[in-house]
Amino acid sequence: MSLRRSAAVARRILQQFRHDRRTLVLLFVAPLVILGLFYFLIRGGSGVPGVDVVDLDQGPLGSVLTTHLQASTQIEVSTTSLAQARSDLAADRVAAYVVLPTDLTASASGGGVVAPEVHLEGTQPGLTQPVLAALDQSEAGLLGSLGAQGGAHLPAIRPSVTYLHGGAGLDTLDYFGGAFVGLVVFFLVFVVTIIAFLRERSQGTLERLMASPLRRADIVAGYMAGFMVVAALQAVEVALFTLYALHVHDQGNVALVVLMTLLLALVAVNLGIFLSMFATTEFQAVQFIPLAIVPQVLLSGIVFPVSTEPGWLQAVSNVLPLTYGVDGLRDVMLEGLGLTSGAVLLDLGVVAAFAAALVVAATATLRRRTG
Amino acid sequence: MSGAGAAVEVDGLSKSFGSVLALDGASLRVGSGEIYGLLGPNGAGKTTLIRSLVGLVTGDRGSVEVLGRRLPDRSALAEIGYMPQAPALYADLTVEENLAFFAAIHDLEGGRARPRIAEALQLVDLAGRRRSVVATLSGGMRQRLSLACALVHRPRLLLLDEPTVGVDPQLRAELWRRFSEMSEQGVTILVSSHVMDEAERCGRLGLLRFGRLLAEGTADELRRRAGVERLEDAFLALSEGER
Repeated sequence: MSLRRSAAVARRILQQFRHDRRTLVLLFVAPLVILGLFYFLIRGGSGVPGVDVVDLDQGPLGSVLTTHLQASTQIEVSTTSLAQARSDLAADRVAAYVVLPTDLTASASGGGVVAPEVHLEGTQPGLTQPVLAALDQSEAGLLGSLGAQGGAHLPAIRPSVTYLHGGAGLDTLDYFGGAFVGLVVFFLVFVVTIIAFLRERSQGTLERLMASPLRRADIVAGYMAGFMVVAALQAVEVALFTLYALHVHDQGNVALVVLMTLLLALVAVNLGIFLSMFATTEFQAVQFIPLAIVPQVLLSGIVFPVSTEPGWLQAVSNVLPLTYGVDGLRDVMLEGLGLTSGAVLLDLGVVAAFAAALVVAATATLRRRTG
Repeated sequence: MSGAGAAVEVDGLSKSFGSVLALDGASLRVGSGEIYGLLGPNGAGKTTLIRSLVGLVTGDRGSVEVLGRRLPDRSALAEIGYMPQAPALYADLTVEENLAFFAAIHDLEGGRARPRIAEALQLVDLAGRRRSVVATLSGGMRQRLSLACALVHRPRLLLLDEPTVGVDPQLRAELWRRFSEMSEQGVTILVSSHVMDEAERCGRLGLLRFGRLLAEGTADELRRRAGVERLEDAFLALSEGER
């Protein structure tokens, strides 16, 4: 081994980095962006899950428990009426509501069983867990203050938990499965398209196509059609595998799951064509994954609910197509919503609109590159 | 070669890429059925001039007319066969699949395409390799296939950017025989080259240098004008003179 020759190789590698500014930017900027996002998603969130408390207790203990709940930093409590709480939960304005029954104080003082009702929305584990934890702490707090008063018989507290959607029978994969179906197809179709289109550019065949009677729109439409055949097969395969081999919970229409996934694939194809314009090598194309895909995955609500993000990050999340795709898949698979639901139609419509806008953008980039 | 039948008419075309002036008021007229050779050193603007004839380059100044249509006009492209300098092919498809694709984008499909594909394969002597994947072909074979892809739809105007690089002498002679036949049938051929024995086979030659056409004429005319025996010397003399 020759140190001097190895040094020549090392020097050459550093020279190549110096000529490839983009890679340098990627190496030094992308980690800050991604870690910064994690910071804002985990710590910067103003939003903790909202919880409505309905205190029907005729004695004093109900308001003591409410005070303990309000003191919790894991949830944001507002007290309201039962009707209001029900409609808040149905409209996703809160993650849960807690009903303190009329006989709470009565049962507690007799040393009996206290059963506050907890109604959880249930589709997002990231929101469910803080609610249950806050409730646990508040119960302990209540027992603590009762004990301090020297009560002879401490009551047993056994909250009855019900889920609007999903439930205790669902595991993590059930919650994430729907989002993952969309994500896997979106990601793979994007990578395959950006590489394929880049090869079309780098091997010179794109120039040849531009010198033929083919129009730019013909090329983009052809790419879409070709990749959608493969993406359709993939979407069906992934959806069926997830539902029937992995038995991921699905309350909705399988065809709707496939449709949503296909729309995401359509966005991915055109995003790939569009971004391929900004890359000259396959290496640079792969660099778009940490820059264009990872932040989108973090902000799409797959792991961190969009509603718990700081306000400005929510604004970013709300202009990303994957956010709507994930939301739509969850609405269908966890809530069993169908085409009659405004939420599902909105998600389908927004993803379709992104696909259409990217078709236009992809066609326009073809024009610019060959000026 | 005069009159209304000009296949290519370029007038005062200029184009710069950043600070590099690739074309500097180039004018060129190629008559119908002519074989016109565009000669010049690397960087003279040959490729830019050819690319401007298929709309891949839009000039900053000047006008381009191809097959009677003023560019930009996509309708002219259906009757042009363009062979870029580097063989632009789908490396993961077979020889025949590449040809079928380029035929299909010129609206030649199925039964109408088959005889044209066979004819093009014959012409470039690749019939025996038609099921080979392009990635397995040698550089010269790819060059020939690229040429076949440019003429599979029987264009009226053939634009060839250094078509015989990497092609052996026998096949080069054969290709030029076919070019002559095509020209007799009315096909116009504009070919760039820096191989002098190819230049001898062109009807007329143009010397491109510094983005301008410095001299033009038949090989004999150019030799006479420079007062030398060899065409190569004629070009050296003529381009030095202009400097």
